[in-house]
Amino acid sequence: MNHRHLLPNEIDLLVDGEAGFGVAPLRAHIQECTECRERLEDARIVVEALEALPHFAPDSRLADRVMAQVPVFVPAHVAARDSVRRWLPQSAAARVAALAVAGSAALTLTIGMVWLALQGDLMVFATGVLGERVRVAVVSAGRDLAVALLGDAALSALQGLGAMGAVLLLVAFLIAAVGTVAGIRRLAVASRRA
Amino acid sequence: MTRALDLANLPDADVVALALEGRDSAHRELIRRYERPVFSLVFRMVRDRELAEDLTQDTFVKVLSHLDRYRADFKFSSWLFKIANNVAIDHLRRRQLDTVSMDGSPHAMTAEAVESTRFDVADSAENALDEMEAKELGSAIERAIAQLRPEYRSCIMLRHVEGRSYEEIASTLDLPLGTVKTYIHRARHELRRALEHTRE
Repeated sequence: MNHRHLLPNEIDLLVDGEAGFGVAPLRAHIQECTECRERLEDARIVVEALEALPHFAPDSRLADRVMAQVPVFVPAHVAARDSVRRWLPQSAAARVAALAVAGSAALTLTIGMVWLALQGDLMVFATGVLGERVRVAVVSAGRDLAVALLGDAALSALQGLGAMGAVLLLVAFLIAAVGTVAGIRRLAVASRRA
Repeated sequence: MTRALDLANLPDADVVALALEGRDSAHRELIRRYERPVFSLVFRMVRDRELAEDLTQDTFVKVLSHLDRYRADFKFSSWLFKIANNVAIDHLRRRQLDTVSMDGSPHAMTAEAVESTRFDVADSAENALDEMEAKELGSAIERAIAQLRPEYRSCIMLRHVEGRSYEEIASTLDLPLGTVKTYIHRARHELRRALEHTRE
């Protein structure tokens, strides 16, 4: 029998259930020494009492209270991916069918575009006619919109400024619009942080 | 329903990744998993239910608001417990409610040093809390834990209630491994003495 009683840290090793070369002699000593066995038993009672301690439950509204203070941002790439997923069919068979339809449509469009490209003269003529009609329609719609928004007098004044004046006016409008959007965004961020 | 079941079966790191994608349900899943352990740790640290509710809420708000700072090579639960412990310790320091250890400084290396740093008094506010907490926490071991100094309390809770290894506790609390072993050893010693006193 060893004459030295176990040190506190040696009792801890046994309580923690450590295994290793140095633990075997400690276990052997415990078998022979009543005093150390009692100390180990006392230590185990404490550990068992600790390990039997329950978890307490917080208020059931904790999650709601936390989430009311946590800003949850959906990154742009995740939002885009989710949007695509929403449009995709759920079942594998439906996805294959959708792929087949989309592939057929793409193939048909490609063939059509190639055929049109091969009709050179016809394409030039048709593009010219279509372009002129679009230009006339856009100019007309723009004029109507300007008259509706500004009135005849303001439109005449604007025309008097010439192209350079119109460009400067447009630039000023864009700067004001961007400034307004940035200001609103900053206010929104500040109020969310507050 | 399917989503909830999926989340419940995912490891923490995957739930954190989903939370970083802005999934509200992933945030709630992290709260669901850890609200009881975190609340229990904080409650046993501050011994006031209402205060523990507030500090637990603060902990989760901090963690979930800064998930982008979480490093995946660290266990999520360790990071969470680290913040919960810091929140509780900070509060105790601010309120100066700490119990003064009866066993002297944990850094004392000699018997004289231990003796010179030994105290046998507790903060008067603590005594006033004792009766209230005894009703709530109940058992002798809970009352004995309440008498431990906060550093011992968090170590012993993480070791025996949460089942963490010494290394994990050292990493969680940013303490040297030897210090963690010393704290746990002294905490057990104090608890043993307190329980012996109860049994007599």
